[in-house]
Amino acid sequence: MQTIWGWLPAIYLFLGGLGAGAFLAAATLEFTGKRYEIDICPITLVGAILPGPLVALGTVLLIFDLGAGLREPWRIFYMFTHFSSVMTWGIWILSVFIPLSLVYGFLEVMDTYPMVWERMGKRIPVRRIKRIVAGVGSVFAVGTALYTGILLSAVGPAIPFWSTSILPFLPIPMMPLLFLVSAISTGIGLTVDLSGTLALPDMQKRFRRLPAIHLALIGIEAVLLGLLLFTAFAQGGAAAQAARDIAMGPRSLVFWILIVLPGFAFPLVVHACALGLGRHPRLVHLGAGMGIVVAGLILRYLVLVSGIPVTL
Amino acid sequence: MELEGKESRPMEKTGLSRRRFLGLALASGAVASVGSTTTEKLGQQRTEEVPGARYALVIDTTKCTGCRACIEACNLRNNLPEGQSYTDVLDRGDGHAPWFLPVQCQHCADPPCAAVCPTGATYKHESGVVLINEKLCVGCKYCMVACPYQARIFDEKRGVADKCWLCLEWVVKGDLPACVEACIPGARIFGRADDPDSEVGKLIASGRAKPLHPEFNTHPAVLSYIITEG
Repeated sequence: MQTIWGWLPAIYLFLGGLGAGAFLAAATLEFTGKRYEIDICPITLVGAILPGPLVALGTVLLIFDLGAGLREPWRIFYMFTHFSSVMTWGIWILSVFIPLSLVYGFLEVMDTYPMVWERMGKRIPVRRIKRIVAGVGSVFAVGTALYTGILLSAVGPAIPFWSTSILPFLPIPMMPLLFLVSAISTGIGLTVDLSGTLALPDMQKRFRRLPAIHLALIGIEAVLLGLLLFTAFAQGGAAAQAARDIAMGPRSLVFWILIVLPGFAFPLVVHACALGLGRHPRLVHLGAGMGIVVAGLILRYLVLVSGIPVTL
Repeated sequence: MELEGKESRPMEKTGLSRRRFLGLALASGAVASVGSTTTEKLGQQRTEEVPGARYALVIDTTKCTGCRACIEACNLRNNLPEGQSYTDVLDRGDGHAPWFLPVQCQHCADPPCAAVCPTGATYKHESGVVLINEKLCVGCKYCMVACPYQARIFDEKRGVADKCWLCLEWVVKGDLPACVEACIPGARIFGRADDPDSEVGKLIASGRAKPLHPEFNTHPAVLSYIITEG
């Protein structure tokens, strides 16, 4: 069991991914023009407003996890200086992404409720600025989501499970990819399955392609998770031990009951039914959204604690 | 006794860290100025305070009896809190043929702890020793996670990462690291890596002393091991 980093990193890795994923979901609707099919689009509204506060909260938690940096906060500025560390890159990415997503949220509110901005008398090209912010922000959203995985994979030989590669013969780390897909999935869960379903009774009929996209994402994430365990098994040593603990050992109950069931199996069935039968019961969609988001948090916690140090 | 130790430790510790920062961060200038008063009592294993000296510590596991005197000596000299240690002695082999593997910071040539450190607090001293500038450390523990030798501890009181620094403050004055001085069976051999005539130089050159887990690719620069066969 990995004991150096406790449960707090799991929460801020999750919040970073959730915020980035929600931003990407909103930006996708912005660029495809779907957002403008309704006056008040709950998906873009939530996906634009929440990422800033969510990722900022994650960053505050990160700072609370520091030792001397918390007691002497000026030391935090040193964290911008050492570019060989992925943490320095992450701090820079977060420093750009948080303000960008706050601006995006502000612009989306201005666009949705134009009364205030119109009363100011000046015609600010809100939509044009919003598109630029969404475009640049998307790059940093992908960066934020990838960073949460790279932070773990960059430790190299010290924790073999975290640096497990995509395939046994393909030395590309799996964690960044898995966390990126999981981030988008939790982001869609929050914006579409939860907010969209709550606010728009006919949401699933309006956005017909969404179940298919979401189904594909959950499928890809399930394949990546399976590959992670497979490659870790093949690698042997501490990585295989971690995979064994997760799949059939002391952590298997958490994995199957709290991650696979609510985060993969249930949403897969829900979206497959929506796609095949055209049925969209609201309560079931809410359940799927909730399951995906909660499973995303628990997945990060599980990956963190399963980071068994290499055997000396 | 308990009280006495507790009262004196924090004071010594602050003195140490200040000297560590002021003295060692300034690298060779400081090393040269610390001086030329060699203590002869240390005999063959004595190191000389030459600027640019590179040190080596060979651990002979065929001699280690697992008495853990090294841990005690290290804890005392570095005023470490109860239950924390720069060095560990792992039990190896089975009950019939046990042997012991002392592990501490290997002072890698490519230290992953220094690479992942977001502030640059961990750095490589020219003597080959990996040091921590405590004034820069934010206490994110990334270095502790990234060290494959699990050689780092966390100083809760000051909120910074900490680890073996090869007793560099004393070593530059010609003394031995505490663990070497305390080793009863003589399993720890310390000397100058850049001196081919030294005992450690010969052990490394002959290939008898090898780095621990070279597959980690961190290229341990100071520590090497003579490992018990089988």
